[in-house]
Amino acid sequence: MTTGLDPALDAEMLCYCTTLTFGELRAACAAGAWPPANKERTGKLCTGCQGDLQYCLRALGVRGPA
Amino acid sequence: MSSDLGALMSATFHEAGHAHLVELVHQKDRAARRQLASVRLFAYDQDGCPRLDQTLDPGQEILDVAALLDEPARRHGRLLVVFDARYDPRIFPYRPHHYGYLHRQDSAVPPLYYAVNATLGGVPDRIGAVALNNFETYLFLDRPMTGHHAVAVGNLSRFAPADAEVVSYYEGVRHVETVRLAPKAHTEVKLEPERDGHRLRRVELKALFRMASYVVGRRAGGELVLFDHLFTYFK
Repeated sequence: MTTGLDPALDAEMLCYCTTLTFGELRAACAAGAWPPANKERTGKLCTGCQGDLQYCLRALGVRGPA
Repeated sequence: MSSDLGALMSATFHEAGHAHLVELVHQKDRAARRQLASVRLFAYDQDGCPRLDQTLDPGQEILDVAALLDEPARRHGRLLVVFDARYDPRIFPYRPHHYGYLHRQDSAVPPLYYAVNATLGGVPDRIGAVALNNFETYLFLDRPMTGHHAVAVGNLSRFAPADAEVVSYYEGVRHVETVRLAPKAHTEVKLEPERDGHRLRRVELKALFRMASYVVGRRAGGELVLFDHLFTYFK
């Protein structure tokens, strides 16, 4: 089970380049399947969400890239 | 909302006392097919406190930003204005563009036209974009400066604070100023026109992730004479 991220955010957009939502990130982390197919470039294109992505991965117990 | 839609988060700044219009979709066509699927406006004060959250009509061509934000800007100072748009990638194969018009009321200074800074998204995988855009630069014209210049920078993240490094170059002299911005917070980093007798030539903005940023030029009386986005360092 993953915790630490408000479920109210689930429909909100996290990565505007790959259109990954917070809910999709939560589901992928809960399933041990981060990153999901076709979302591998999340955080790597415009880079604008990189800070939030790392924050959320830590909150969901997934270690981000070094 | 359909996951087939593209997403774009653009940002600008608004100060009270300026006529400020934003063309929500620049590439209008006669059949008016080119319109956004949705667009929402948020405004934040310098500490990142939300001051307005408004859903806009995506069919609206020109938005009067001053009409919406002059009152909160008088109360709270300069605002970070965020446009959160969704669009159909079949209609906008690259991305939509918002363009701005800015003119201080009752000023004889010419108005400024600018491209609203596309900060998040609009760069989907299909474009194959490979250049990092969290390092940006701006070259100043080779002529004497009047007034003063600054870099306006805002952090659009939801959770992550950001250290933004503003590096200004005066011939061989390099000056670094680092500002820490909480989520949705923003500031203006003033640039000295000269250091050690050398004129300001270039400024760079570096951060771990992309910021909303503009180079701002003001006359001594505060009138805006420059409001322009920086350019990505790597092309």
